[in-house]
Amino acid sequence: MIDDATHIQHGACLHTDVCIVGAGPAGIALALDLSERGLSVMLLESGHLDLDAKTQALYEGEVADERMHSPPDKYRHRRLGGSSAIWGGRCMPMDPIDFESRNYVADSGWPISYTDLLPYYPQANTLAEAGRFSYDASEALGANVAPMIRGFNSTQIRTTGLERFSCPTHFGTRYSKRLQLAPGVQVWLGANCIRLALHADGRSLQAAEFATLSGNRFSVSARATVLATGGIETARLMLASNDISPAGVGNLHDVVGRYYMCHIAGNVGTLSLKGPTSNVLHGYEVAPEGIYCRRRLSVTADEQRRRGLANAVARLHFPRITDPSHRNGVLSGLFLARKLISYEYGKRLNDGDAASLRTYTRHLLNVVTDPLDTSAFLTHWLTKRTLADRKFPSVILRNRTNRFSLEMHGEQTPSASSRVTLSDKVDVLGMPKVRVDWRYSLADIESLRRTLDLIAQEFEVSGTGRFEYQRETLEQDLTRFGAYGGHHIGTARMGHDIRSSVVNTDCQVHTVHNLFVAGSAVFPTSSQANPTLTLIALALRLGDTLSRRLDPRQISRTEKAVA
Amino acid sequence: MKIVVLGSTGYIGMRLIEALKATSWAEATGASRTKPDHAQEGVNWLEVNTCDAAALTRALKGFDAVVNCVAGDRRSIAEGARTLAEAAAAARCPRIIHMSTMSVYGDLEGLVSEDMQPGPQLGWYGKAKREAENSMAGFVKTGGEVVMLRPGCVFGPGSELWVGRTARWLRSGRLGDLGVAGDGWSNLVHIDDVCQAVLASLRLEVVSGMIPVFNLAAPDSPRWNEYFVGLAVGIGATPVRRISARQIRLDSLIAGAPLKIAERLLNDMGKRHVRLPEPMPPGLVRLWAQQIRLDSGPAAQSLGMVWTSYPDALQSSVGWFSRKDRPNEPVVGETTCTP
Repeated sequence: MIDDATHIQHGACLHTDVCIVGAGPAGIALALDLSERGLSVMLLESGHLDLDAKTQALYEGEVADERMHSPPDKYRHRRLGGSSAIWGGRCMPMDPIDFESRNYVADSGWPISYTDLLPYYPQANTLAEAGRFSYDASEALGANVAPMIRGFNSTQIRTTGLERFSCPTHFGTRYSKRLQLAPGVQVWLGANCIRLALHADGRSLQAAEFATLSGNRFSVSARATVLATGGIETARLMLASNDISPAGVGNLHDVVGRYYMCHIAGNVGTLSLKGPTSNVLHGYEVAPEGIYCRRRLSVTADEQRRRGLANAVARLHFPRITDPSHRNGVLSGLFLARKLISYEYGKRLNDGDAASLRTYTRHLLNVVTDPLDTSAFLTHWLTKRTLADRKFPSVILRNRTNRFSLEMHGEQTPSASSRVTLSDKVDVLGMPKVRVDWRYSLADIESLRRTLDLIAQEFEVSGTGRFEYQRETLEQDLTRFGAYGGHHIGTARMGHDIRSSVVNTDCQVHTVHNLFVAGSAVFPTSSQANPTLTLIALALRLGDTLSRRLDPRQISRTEKAVA
Repeated sequence: MKIVVLGSTGYIGMRLIEALKATSWAEATGASRTKPDHAQEGVNWLEVNTCDAAALTRALKGFDAVVNCVAGDRRSIAEGARTLAEAAAAARCPRIIHMSTMSVYGDLEGLVSEDMQPGPQLGWYGKAKREAENSMAGFVKTGGEVVMLRPGCVFGPGSELWVGRTARWLRSGRLGDLGVAGDGWSNLVHIDDVCQAVLASLRLEVVSGMIPVFNLAAPDSPRWNEYFVGLAVGIGATPVRRISARQIRLDSLIAGAPLKIAERLLNDMGKRHVRLPEPMPPGLVRLWAQQIRLDSGPAAQSLGMVWTSYPDALQSSVGWFSRKDRPNEPVVGETTCTP
């Protein structure tokens, strides 16, 4: 059932087994999973299927430094399906090393291991419509598949890793019918959570309180309540609910909102490869089940440990778009059209410096003098992306020169000083707005510098090419656009120690026995991986946990697998 | 036990005769309008028109049970069943195993148990099958026994409808992963499991005046998209295409009718060898999106079903299609058998 929360009687208190706040990928995956286990579920979503400006405005807030982080109402959508309405669809699991406590990455280490999460990844892959859970090229694309770069053999740099792409699937449109039919599931739209009401002893949640924009108020009392509202909003809700616990729910030790992470990302240097262009696979390949896949370079886990490197990946990328010296009509066309592209996708087409008339002219000249490539690109884009249900994931240029930049995507070191707090301002529902102060550390840049040096060394040793970059501008190159878009990680981190974490291994808030968190807020570290696949897997794992806790007759998916 | 199978030339009927033959307790007789050339050796055969009451009564005399697998148009299904009920009563044939279908539930969605009434949209096939089911009630009133089976989509080796035709659509790129348009449950059930259910139904104890009804769908049967992708990968129709709901509707609505008409015209002209792309029936396109899930718990409990696992069923279907991977596409019979 899906209904509008304005139809709930004002002042009512609804009862259910599990109350899930937020219908993004985590909330939807969890609701569907719990329904199959016979539990009653209320899934409460602030928005509706379509984006509504007044609802979206509830996400507005402040950022400490606009160059470093997008405004909080960007890269997030407050609607059924959440930010999956605008995501890019890149899927990959975390690596086993991401879960390890590494002495060279401060505050690293998950209290669960990769194998604990592994049983849930295939189902997460299916929900994300990313095909089989197979992330090695030879396994996913066939044993006889060509290498990423012919002749490049390294024991330290891995080239067989894959990323797979979702459609990208909008979880709202894709799964609304399933939600509508799911036994025991009630989805309430237009329901904004405004308070987590604890019992007087602060050890359990009495109810979650909701308000609609039209003024209707009600509460939901559940055997378990799950916050599935994303890395920023989860912290906001917990911090704002401060009547019983003055520092906010689950925040006895001032951890909620801290250790906020995104990814360090940027285009760096020039990789010049020898031999014919056919030796290099720089774009997308298609797995048998029809999924776009792409290779990436990464440092092996052993080498990361040996050299003390944080996790990162590098993709073969085109030159900086904003600089017309690339003489590429497609890139210049994108630059010229950047104002027509949404904020989230246009951001990296604008590096902050105002373009001069001369720059515009040179870009225009590039387009005019490269008509064949430009029109071929536009045709491909129209048929394979605009009109396609499974969209070609990103702009890929024909490799004419075997010269690439490296698109880096790196883990950042958790830091207590990188945080989400509440500002003095409130939204129309009286909820304090957020203030985001994202910070990176020089250790993050240094780790990527050494990763790039290792990549350069391995190309040199293999004799397949040369990688060069400007050491003095590396930090600028990696932070030119600030924190990587919509990856909001780590504000309610998982851990054993209540003094340095917010939730336990069951994703339960340490001090509140019936309150749980689903989503990237619980990640203790950020990995090289985009967070969506892992947060869905964690939500499915939480489904197992809740079904066992609320109905001891249930057996978990891992136990089923063993059986 | 002497058993006659009406509609023995169809997919289910043929396999059922084999299954009955393999038992120590059943003596099977095939029955159809005309005896096919490929009728198995050692199997008794009756040529009978199931709409001819007198002929059918004569044919049923001396049998302990009749299994009704007759497919065809509305008349063959509905009138045939009414005639069968009357003839079985007149011939004192004590039991009918009636093969119905999940189509009797119409456009219902969600978990569907046998006692549920159909949704508001009931196609011609579902209506005819409902009429046929009602005729069975008449037979019970005369003291007869009926066990009713409502299978989902019966597939496995030899299934032209759910394997052959589907695989050809996948090969030609007209079918693939359909997203929301293929999110319905497939309710696939392996042909061997349907035969198993019939065998159990023949020996099921039936309370006088009651009609046991059983849905038949493997509990692990996937959603259509998973089946399409699995079948496509299995037969090498890769990479699987993502087909939009818009495209599949266009294929069905715009290409469907002209292709069907052309197919009929060619048949009338005696040019059955001319192969046209197979039309995609709009009802089938609706089915792929319909989130109906048959509850087959009662069948498991009362008939003791041991279901063929989906991976095994898929593998054997892929194997059959790959072996049969022939240049000349087969003619799908004039009778259609939607679920």
